[in-house]
Order: sequence, then C-alpha cells, then structure tokens
Amino acid sequence: MKKIFVVGILFFAVLLISMIDSCKVSQKVSMKSGAQLWAENCQRCHNTPSPSSFSPEQWETIGMHMQTRALLTEDEKKKIVEFLKQ
Amino acid sequence: MKPGKSFSRKFVCAIVFLTHTSFALAQQTSVDSSILERLNELEKKASNSKQGEDQVLIAGLATIGFASFKSTNTFNGTTSVSKENSFPDADNFELSPMFLWRHGKKFLVEFEPSFNNNGLSVNWADVSWFAAPGLIVRAGYLVLPFGTYAKREASGWINKLATDPMGVADMTPTDYGVEVEGGLPLGSMKINYDLALSNGNQLLQDGTLTNGNISDNNHNKTITGRFGILPFSNSSLELGVSGMFGKVGDQGSDIQNTMSKSYAFDFNYVKLFNPLLINIKAQYNIQNIDKVDYVNSPDSSIYTFENHTKAYFVQGSLRPTGASGFIKNVELAGRYTLFNTPANSSFGSDQHTVTIGLNYWLSWRAVFKITYETYKANSTASKDLGYYNGITNTNTLFIHFAIQL
Repeated sequence: MKKIFVVGILFFAVLLISMIDSCKVSQKVSMKSGAQLWAENCQRCHNTPSPSSFSPEQWETIGMHMQTRALLTEDEKKKIVEFLKQ
Repeated sequence: MKPGKSFSRKFVCAIVFLTHTSFALAQQTSVDSSILERLNELEKKASNSKQGEDQVLIAGLATIGFASFKSTNTFNGTTSVSKENSFPDADNFELSPMFLWRHGKKFLVEFEPSFNNNGLSVNWADVSWFAAPGLIVRAGYLVLPFGTYAKREASGWINKLATDPMGVADMTPTDYGVEVEGGLPLGSMKINYDLALSNGNQLLQDGTLTNGNISDNNHNKTITGRFGILPFSNSSLELGVSGMFGKVGDQGSDIQNTMSKSYAFDFNYVKLFNPLLINIKAQYNIQNIDKVDYVNSPDSSIYTFENHTKAYFVQGSLRPTGASGFIKNVELAGRYTLFNTPANSSFGSDQHTVTIGLNYWLSWRAVFKITYETYKANSTASKDLGYYNGITNTNTLFIHFAIQL
C-alpha cells in the first residue's frame, strides 16, 4: 500500500509541475488552425471525419466526447470543432 | 427668374410631392401589415424550433462478419481437427449504439449498450463534468485508463483488423468508480493524464481475475492511472505508461490481502509520408498477482503457481491516402500478438497470433475488411493436475464490415 501511495504522490507531483509549466505554449502550436489540428489529431486513432457528416450542434457534442477519449487540449477541441462546424 | 413664378413652381411641386407620398404611404401601410403577419408567423416557428443548450446524439458502431477456421490440436501424440464456418457470433457481430447527452458545455452523459450473441451488455455509462481547461471529472461505469487499446482503438470501424489482440483489451477492466483526466499543452509538446479510483477486479479461486459489472468484493479500492506524452508538435507520436494497483481477494477469505499490480506501456505513431499514411501501434501489458494458494475446482485441492500474465501486440498499417482513385481507399495491416497466461495453473498457455489484413474504406467511417489470422498455443497448464492440453494451431479467415453509426 505504501508503494501505491508513493507512486500516487509522484504521479501528482509530475502532473502539478506539468500543469504549472503548461502555461507556456509555443507560438508554433498556438498558431495552428482548426483544419491543421483536425488533420493531425483525428488520424491518431481513426480516419479524419468529413465536416458534412454531422450538424454544427452534433459536432459540439462529438467534440466533448472526443476530448474525453483522445484527451485533446481545450484549445485543440475548440479549434477542431469550429472547423468542423463550418 | 421672377420671385412670383418661383413661388408658384415650388407650390405645385409641394402639392405633387405630398399627393405622391400619401399614395405611397397608403400602399406601404397595407404591405407592412402583410409582412408583419408573415414575420409574426416566422417568429413563432423559429421560437418553437430554437436549439436549446442540451443536445442528444445517437452514434455508436456496428460490425457484422463471417469467419471460417480450421483448428488442429495435438495432444499425447493424437491429432484432432475441427472446422467451422460461422456468421455472426461474439467475435463477428456487434451492434453498439452510443447515446451522448450534452448538457450545455459543461456536462456530458455517455451510455453505450452493446448487443452480440453473448447477449446485451453495457460498454460504459458515465457522466463527465468539464470542470476546467485540462480537467474533466467523470463518475459511473468506466473503461479504466490502462493502456489505450480498449479505450480508443477497439471499435470495429477503428481497428484495422477483424480481431482484437489477445489478452490486451481483456486486461483493461470496466468498473464503477470516479476518474479525473485531461490534456495539456507543454511548449511544443502535449501531455495527458487519466487517473481512476474504482471497486477493482475480483480474484477467483482458480487464480483468474474477473471484472465488469460485478459486486464490490472487498473494502479496498483499486487505483488506475495513465500518463501520456506527445513529444512532437504535430502529435504524430504518443507514448504512454499505465499502472493499476489494488487488493483483489474476497473480503473475509484467506486471500483477502492478495494484491494485483499491473503495468502497461503504449505506443502510437501516425505520419503521412506522401502518399503513404503509416501507422504503428503497440501495447505491452504485465499483470502480477501475489503468489497464494488457489483451489483446483474439480476436487477442491489446494495448489499454487506464479500468477504472472503478459500480453503485447505490435501492429503496422499502410494506406496511400495521398494517391488518387480506388487505391487511396485500400489499406494493408499486419499484427503480431503474444499472450502468456501463468504456467502450472489450470489455464496456462503460451499463445501467439500473426494477423494480416486488407481493408477497403467505403467512407471515412465504413470499412470492408478481409483478415487472415494464424494462432498457435502451447499449453503450459499443470500436467500434475491434468490440465495440460497439448499444442493447438488455428487458421481463420474473417470477412467483416464495420461502420460508425
């Protein structure tokens, strides 16, 4: 049980440090468009979806679902959903 | 110009203007009333069909297929052969509609029932709260964050081959609990985390673990976590490490303090080398359960073994997405899988599969798959207890159609 506790503490320490440092997003990444993020991230698991497959309201819902599955960042989710809704 | 003439001209112009305006106004008043009526009707319709903040969506997946196999088993110098051709069974049919309820932009309810010939079951049923950027809190019946295969890659329309890699998804439990997760930027890289606290697996008397919609068998909870990193700014590579720790024995039994410690390592690389899209996926699972006394069911005798299980797969696929015409929809895939269950147990076996596949994508979410798989199993089960069952070779041809609903 002690080992689990130590692993848990280490995990949260790494997480906390990463979260604090996560404020620093490189310009290269922040400048990416929704279309580019759609192309890069969706194909990590499956083919890139056609924007015409769902309505704008449905893309909003799917965006939330995909954020829980692929663990997209908030900025990525927003930009990809906006691109798919067009 | 004389002032008298100028005045009379202005007067006539004013009369003409006023007459014209009054006619126009009278006409406009009658037009306006009909437009207003129409506008009122449209406003009523728009107000009736206005989108609310909530939205319900049914998505999900369906897989239907055919399998033809020939299996030979050699045991004590005797070889037996079996053959079968089968339309839908548990491996070749699945209908899993996924219900998504979005409550505004902060809450999402996910529920996925699944039907195959094992009956009706539930893949997951949970509520997510999008608490803050990079922080999602979830509770319910969850797919635990152990590796990535079960949570992201197992759906028929996502999986490049007709079969799952043996043991890999089976070692990822679905359980009742709570979870926190999120994805965060880190310079040009990204990281993600996923941590769950759940009831945990149950250790059965023969030394196997069971999970999925079971009653909590002890007072302890299991902690499962995964940490992932995407080191390249184009998200082409993801590396992940997972751990799952908890007591799995029944409360009040001799094995109530038995610990299960599992680890998983996952790898995913996707990159377009025009015109070829290359995808390499891999996952390595290890499961260690404390060495304790187990019960041999037929005679209730006690025996023990090193309860160590491992499973891994390496998969590669190629698709010329940059080409044109028919060829861009064709995909080749291959996978090697190993699954070793504990030697000297009642179920010990060294199993290997080599799987190759040819896919044709009818759309981005509908695929026709032809998969050929060779399976070899060398029994490592206890000879003393009479469980050893020789060597098995099976060759299977699968023809599948999978679609995202």
